[in-house]
Amino acid sequence: MKKTAALSALLMILSGALACADEATPAATQKYTQAELDANPYLKSVVTREGTKADTSKFKKNGPYKIALAAQGPTNSWAALFDQEARYHVDQLGKNKVSELLYASADGNADKQVPEVEDLLSQNPDALILVPMGRAALAASVDRAAAQGVPVVLCASGVDGDSYVTEIGTNLYDLGARAANWLSDQLGGNGNILVMDGIPGVDTAEIAKSGAAAVWKNKPSIKILDEQYGQWSTSEAKKTAEQWIAKYGKTIQGIWSDGGQMSQGIVEAFQEAKLPVPPLASADYSNGLLRQVKDGNIKFSAGQYPNAMVILCIDTALKILNGESVSRFIDFRSAMEKTQDVNTSNIDTFFNPKWSDDVFPPIFLPDSKMVELKYMTK
Amino acid sequence: MSSVGQKSLPVRLLSWSPRSAIRRYGVYCSLAVLLLIALVVRPEVYRPESLFLILRSASQLGMVALGQTLVMLVAGLDLSVTGLLVLTSVVIAQIGAGQDSRILPGLLVSLGFGASIGLANGLLITKRNVPPFVATLGMLVLIRGAQSAYTQGIPSGQVPDGLKVLNQSLGPLPVSFVIWIAFTALLAFVLYATPFGRRIYAIGSNREAARLSGIAVDRYVVAVYIICSLLVVGSGIILSGYVGYVDRYLGRGFDLDSIAAAVVGGVAFSGGRGSLVAAMAGVLLVEFLSSLLLIIGMDVQAQLIVKGLVLIGAVALYSLAERRP
Repeated sequence: MKKTAALSALLMILSGALACADEATPAATQKYTQAELDANPYLKSVVTREGTKADTSKFKKNGPYKIALAAQGPTNSWAALFDQEARYHVDQLGKNKVSELLYASADGNADKQVPEVEDLLSQNPDALILVPMGRAALAASVDRAAAQGVPVVLCASGVDGDSYVTEIGTNLYDLGARAANWLSDQLGGNGNILVMDGIPGVDTAEIAKSGAAAVWKNKPSIKILDEQYGQWSTSEAKKTAEQWIAKYGKTIQGIWSDGGQMSQGIVEAFQEAKLPVPPLASADYSNGLLRQVKDGNIKFSAGQYPNAMVILCIDTALKILNGESVSRFIDFRSAMEKTQDVNTSNIDTFFNPKWSDDVFPPIFLPDSKMVELKYMTK
Repeated sequence: MSSVGQKSLPVRLLSWSPRSAIRRYGVYCSLAVLLLIALVVRPEVYRPESLFLILRSASQLGMVALGQTLVMLVAGLDLSVTGLLVLTSVVIAQIGAGQDSRILPGLLVSLGFGASIGLANGLLITKRNVPPFVATLGMLVLIRGAQSAYTQGIPSGQVPDGLKVLNQSLGPLPVSFVIWIAFTALLAFVLYATPFGRRIYAIGSNREAARLSGIAVDRYVVAVYIICSLLVVGSGIILSGYVGYVDRYLGRGFDLDSIAAAVVGGVAFSGGRGSLVAAMAGVLLVEFLSSLLLIIGMDVQAQLIVKGLVLIGAVALYSLAERRP
C-alpha cells in the first residue's frame, strides 16, 4: 500500500503540467480560451498547476521542524521586509512548531544562491523555501532537494523543471490583464495610452506585458502612443515619461505601468510638467506611490506583489510536512487576507502615512516592529 | 607628446589631413549629422521643452563622463561610478532627511565618501598595481555590499526638496547643464593651459617616460581618480534632486555610457590622447541619439542595436584615422 502511494506521488510530481492539464479546475480554464492557453506556456502552466493537488503524504513527519529559507537577501526594501516578515512569523509560531529557521541570503544573485542552497541542504532541513534568483540556474538545486527528500516551496518566483511541491505567487499574466482592463474601463474603451514595461527579457515583466497585450488586442479603440521599458527604475521611468509628455502632452489619456517604482517616476514627471496625471494602471505599488496618488487625487489601480507572501510560503511548508495536500500553484490572492487590487476606493486600507515610501503594503508586522526597523515614524 | 589637446591652433592647422580631421572633428561632424537627421525625421526634437530635457539628461551623464575622460586620459577606467551614484543618493537622503537645512552636511559627507573612494581606487592602481578594471570593479562590489549592510536594504530618509532646484531652469537652460558646462570649461582650462594638464597627457602617453622625466606619476593618477569620484558625487547630487527618492537603479548604465561618450569623443583607451571638450560632445551625441530614438518610438532592442552600431562605428573610424599610411 505504501509502495503504491509513493509511486502515485512520484508519478504525479514527475508527470508535470502537461500530464495534469485535464485536472485544471473548470473555473480557472473557463477564464481563458484554449487558444490563449496554447499561445502562452506560462499561463497554461499556472492554470494547470492551480487545479492540481500535490500528494504530500510522503513528506509527513512530526514537528517541530527545521525550515530552510533561501532568500533574495536584503538588497532592497521589498526583500528586506520579506526577511523580517519571515522571522517575525516564525517567532510567532513558536519553537514547538519551527525549531529553527535556517537562512541564506543570495544578495539577489543566482550564482551565489546555488552553493547556498547546497549548504542549506547539507544541514538536513525538513523543508526548503526558495526565492529563486534565476529560473534556469536554480532548477538543478531544486532537483537535488527533491532527490534528498526535502519538499521545496517556491516563493515569489518560479524555476524550470517540476521537482518542487508548490509555487506561491500570483498569475502575472492576469495581473497585467487586470490593470489593462481597468484602464480600458476608465477610458470607456477608447483613448490614447502609454505603456511602460519592466526590464526586457525578465520573465515577470514579459508575462505581465503579454497579459496586457492580450487586452489591447481586443480593444481596437485603445491607441498605444508609445511603449518603452522603464527598467523598474524611478529615474529611467521619469526620463522616458518626460519625453512622452514633451511629445504627446495633453493627448495622453491613460498609462499602464509594470511597477510601482516606475509609476512614481511617471507621476513626478506629470506633476513637474504641471499636467493632470491621467488614469494610471500600475502592476504593483509602494507606500510612496499611494502617498502620491492620495495627495494628487489621481485615478489609479494597482495590483500587489506583497513581501508578506512569505508568511503563506512558511505556512504551506508546514502543511506539506503535516501531510496536507496543497495546490501545485497557490495564488496569494486566494489564500491571504488584504490581497486585492488597490484603487481610489480602498486606498486607506493599504496606505499608512507613517510608513516610509519604500514599504510595500500589505504588511503584517506590528507597528512596534516597523518603528524598530525604521520603516515607520512614531 | 602627440596629444590633440596639446598642440596649438596654428600647428593643428598646418598638420591638417583627412585622418587628423576625423580624429579631431569626427564627433562634432557626427553630432551635426545627427542634428540634421533629427531635423528631417523628427523636428519636434527641437521644441524648447525637448531640448531642455536632452540637455538636462546630458548634464547628469556629462558630470560622470568628465571624470571618466580624465581617468581614461591616464590610461585608466572607473567602473565604480554607478555604485558611488547610488551611495551619494543614500547619504543625501539619510543625512538630508527631507530638510533643506541639512543639504550642506549631506553634500560634505557625500564628497568625503567620494574623495575616499577615489583615493582608494587610485592607491590600489598605483601602489598595488591592480589593473584599473579590476580595482574599480572590486570597489563597485564593495560599495554596494557596504551600502546594503549599512541600510539593510532600507534606504530610509528623504531627499531634501531644495535639491530639485538643480534640475530646474536658469533662463532657457537647466541649472544642471550650466553647472556641467562650468565644470567642463574649468577642467578644459586645467588640462590645456596648466602644467597639471600637460602632465596628465604625458602620463597617459607613456607612464614610464613621464616618471623618468620627473613627474610624480602616482600622485597625479591618484588625484585624477579623486577628481573623477568627486565629479560622480556631483552627478549623484543632481540625480538625487531629479528623482527625489533613493532609487537603487540610479544612474544605471552610466558606467558604460560615460565610457562610450568618451570613446565617441575620441578619447583613447590607451590613454594620453583625446579632448575633454570632444568627449562632452560625445555625451551630447549619446543623449541626443537616445532621445531621438525614444521620440521616434523605436523598440528598446532596436535602440540598443543603433547605439551599439554608433559606438562601434566611432571606434572603427578612430582606429582608421590612427592607422599609419
